[in-house]
Amino acid sequence: MTRVKVTAPRSEAKPVMDSRVAAEESDVGQVFVRSLIRSQLRLSLVVAAGFLLILLAFPLMLGLVPGLAEAKIAGLPFGWLLLGAGIYPVIGLSAWLFIRTATRNEARYRDLAEDR
Amino acid sequence: MNPVVGIAAFVAVSVATAVVGFYGLRISRTTGDFYVASRTVRPWWNASAIGGEYLSAASFLGVAGLVLLSGTDALWFPIGYTAGYLMLLLFVAAPLRRSGAYTIPDFTEVRLDSRAVRRVTSLVVVVVGWLYIVPQLHGAALTIRITTGLPSWVGSVAVVIVVCLTVVAGGMRSITFVQAFQYWLKLTALAVPIVFIALVLAGNGTPALAEANTNPTGLAPTGPYQNISLLVALLFGTLGLPHVLVRFYTNPDGQSARRTTLIVLGLLSVFYLFPTAYGLLGRMFAPGLAQGGRSDALVLLLPGRLIGGPAGDMLSALVVAGAFAAFLSTTSGLVVSLAGVISQDVLGGSVRGFRLAALISATVPLGFAFMTDSLALAGSVGLVFAFTASTICPALLLGIWWRGLTDAGAIAGMVTGGVLCGGALVAGALSGPAASGAAMPQWLAQPAAWTVPAAFAVMVLVSRATKGRVPRTLTKVMTRLHTPERPLATERQGASDR
Repeated sequence: MTRVKVTAPRSEAKPVMDSRVAAEESDVGQVFVRSLIRSQLRLSLVVAAGFLLILLAFPLMLGLVPGLAEAKIAGLPFGWLLLGAGIYPVIGLSAWLFIRTATRNEARYRDLAEDR
Repeated sequence: MNPVVGIAAFVAVSVATAVVGFYGLRISRTTGDFYVASRTVRPWWNASAIGGEYLSAASFLGVAGLVLLSGTDALWFPIGYTAGYLMLLLFVAAPLRRSGAYTIPDFTEVRLDSRAVRRVTSLVVVVVGWLYIVPQLHGAALTIRITTGLPSWVGSVAVVIVVCLTVVAGGMRSITFVQAFQYWLKLTALAVPIVFIALVLAGNGTPALAEANTNPTGLAPTGPYQNISLLVALLFGTLGLPHVLVRFYTNPDGQSARRTTLIVLGLLSVFYLFPTAYGLLGRMFAPGLAQGGRSDALVLLLPGRLIGGPAGDMLSALVVAGAFAAFLSTTSGLVVSLAGVISQDVLGGSVRGFRLAALISATVPLGFAFMTDSLALAGSVGLVFAFTASTICPALLLGIWWRGLTDAGAIAGMVTGGVLCGGALVAGALSGPAASGAAMPQWLAQPAAWTVPAAFAVMVLVSRATKGRVPRTLTKVMTRLHTPERPLATERQGASDR
């Protein structure tokens, strides 16, 4: 049995044309880049605003609903549970939503930039 | 507490740090290795290292101490420390990584095409780093005094020596391993004792001495202005911290920078449950520890106070070890990033220059630490966040998202924020720790709420007035910051190669 050494060139296509260079140089490319930046900024601002609203709502709720901060759950006051533990899942969820959407925005940009 | 416990814990952590640092040493050879570990660090390692570096004396000791003193008001500290990373993820993480710069001064120079901006940024970074190291050394001094009875300066000096040895020997690569190891050490050191304490208390049916919401001291609660100003400082300050940002360059690309940040958020969220628990149990079962300015030592004293005996000593040794891990990791992270800045800007960027710069970066704050008194640890770190939020943060945010920023605007804004916030800090320090709180006006005690908007406003207005100075490289740089690296190439290769 003879062994055949397979030595095909690794990349059949041209080494991925750096589409960043293409994007920098053409006017159409810049339209896509600007729209990507705009949608990423909008996304960041929306997520930040949503998170801050929830963050403000927590102490307001504790302050405005009488007795809520002192109500006990499993022996611990609700105010402590909410501010000491309850906020962290909100942070994680915001981060996860942001990453998912930001990645999608970038994928859409790549489709546009490569289709040209 | 048995003095042997404290000394043994410190020696154990230092030896472990040196061993892990040495393991990393064999891999680091070039200048690039020294600065950013050649950008080959995996997200989990990197995230653990960021967590290890970020969780400082303020988080390990200070948060629990403040919770003991001020109850739920103090919970804004851990919330702010964590949510700051969310802001970092939303506005900075991926673009900063894609900028390809090594340090913050590198970034501002590339973005604004100006050496002057670079110099001002370097100066601010060095000030921030030094300000941030000082509370770490105060924490070390406090820990040594409380646990061994030795004079305070021994703690600060010991931390500086260990940090210099590890940084000079290994650079960033070994630092990454050391930091990642120290995150898990810190988590264990807080989690095991508190779980043990809670089980013992529940098992004995020990009655609580006080309600969780009972204030153990006569201190007045903080008002809404202070809480909001604190949140502004922590949310915007995190995204300008030099030792945090330098970590983002060790991610292979923008997408992995985001993934790393997500993991960091998880690690921080888990960690902060424990200082909160210490503060809560301290309030309920040992409110006496709030008296006599010992509140920052709550974490160190609680196991001995509530358990006692050999078991108490073992648990105390564990928390002391964790505390030293906190001082060592944050200080070494800061020293690495400061040394990177100083050696590149002053000493020409060689490995030798880096080592010399590391020595300078660690010893100058030691002098500050000797000259100043320890305030509440979480509070003084909070002030450093206010300073970063008023200087580096606006330059980064506007630089990444606003095409109109000019070098003149960035410099004017950073100087304004630095002078206003620095002035407030100095005025606060001069009026003395005794006067802080009641006597000091709130706007001076927590300046971020007005210094941050002022810095942003000056930066925007001056940039508008100097429109002609918008750099010609703008289009190219903005494209690089915001477009994904090598379209799909990484995933395709990843699928076929591995």
